[in-house]
Amino acid sequence: MAPDPLPAVLPGGADDAWHQRMRLERELHDGPALRLSALALRLGLLSHRCQDPTLAEGIGEVQDELHAVLEELRNLAGKLYPPLLDEAGLGPALRQVAEHADAPVAIVDTSERFGPALEGATYFAVAECLAALPVGAPAVEVAISREGDELVLAVTGLEPGSTGRLQETARSLGGRTDVGPSGSVVTARIPCA
Amino acid sequence: MRVALAEDGALFREGLQMLLEAAGHEIVGSVADGDAIVRLLATEPVDVAILDIRMPPEPDGGLTAAERLRALHPDIGLLFLSHYAESHYLMRILGIGTERVGYRLKEKVGSVDVLSDTLARIDSGEIVIEPVLAKRLVEKPQGDRKGLIAALSEREVDVLRLMAEGRSNNGIAGQLFVTPKAVEKHIASIFDKLGLQADTAAHHRRVLAVLTYLRAQREDG
Repeated sequence: MAPDPLPAVLPGGADDAWHQRMRLERELHDGPALRLSALALRLGLLSHRCQDPTLAEGIGEVQDELHAVLEELRNLAGKLYPPLLDEAGLGPALRQVAEHADAPVAIVDTSERFGPALEGATYFAVAECLAALPVGAPAVEVAISREGDELVLAVTGLEPGSTGRLQETARSLGGRTDVGPSGSVVTARIPCA
Repeated sequence: MRVALAEDGALFREGLQMLLEAAGHEIVGSVADGDAIVRLLATEPVDVAILDIRMPPEPDGGLTAAERLRALHPDIGLLFLSHYAESHYLMRILGIGTERVGYRLKEKVGSVDVLSDTLARIDSGEIVIEPVLAKRLVEKPQGDRKGLIAALSEREVDVLRLMAEGRSNNGIAGQLFVTPKAVEKHIASIFDKLGLQADTAAHHRRVLAVLTYLRAQREDG
């Protein structure tokens, strides 16, 4: 029998990896990001003290550049582990992704939390589906709930071929997915103890 | 203006102190967490309290401190500074108060003029919203609202963006170099095209209507 490439039980290593991502995001926030923001303030002070309007204009441009660098850092931090996911959970974090999607997306969520590893893996799988929505696609609904010791994720309205990552993620976390008869509802059930 | 600040990053806190002083504001106190600012303001009156969102008590001590401050001293203006400009936090802030509040990115208050303008607007009762966030909300409204925004003229989009920043009619007029009367006309037209209730009299209600419209989703999780 061929070895199963996707373990049924979440290995400790994967759990550590999500914690590591969270720590890195925090380090970015507390270290370089804060230092760059403080630099923007110091530049503002220099600009206030200098009498030369040309110099002040130049300082303003450097401040704009700092903002651009910080935007890139925020982007990077979001790819590691979105701070909102850590602070507020799947619902608010996915709602933020939904805002940037090219089609209307409704998030129906629960206030229950599922831990950094499960939330991280689920978030990135759903976010990928939402980011791939074409402009003008029909409305999508993502419903998150807990049933017993399972995280239940019901996604309605996605193209049948676009849920691969979601199904793969559910499998890798020891869960299973059911695709509704019309193919438009995909329900993932993932154990969350 | 009399201000107090709470920020757990020493480098940023010190930078902000220097800039506030250069701008001629009086700093009543400068602390590193949410509980300390509540204690400080129990005895010291200020016009505006400046709060980092993500500070102790974790995870978002700035927001929990603000809720307590608003209940204890409703007249104190609240300026939230954050590394993130996200509508999730904006909605939480508007849940704390819809007048005398502001939400700005840390690196975007790095000039005496911007800092003083932000504080003055909060002190006068306005909602001040980070322009980067307001712009994003207007340019990327919830999926099905895109078509309606596209129906606005270029000038109307400018007015909508400034409304989403929380600016008053006079403020918008000043930014666009037009008369307040012209701004009123644009606003009436925008509300008409978007199908919003034309309750343009109450400033904060109008800002909320615009923000809710652009965001389209409520925090009901």
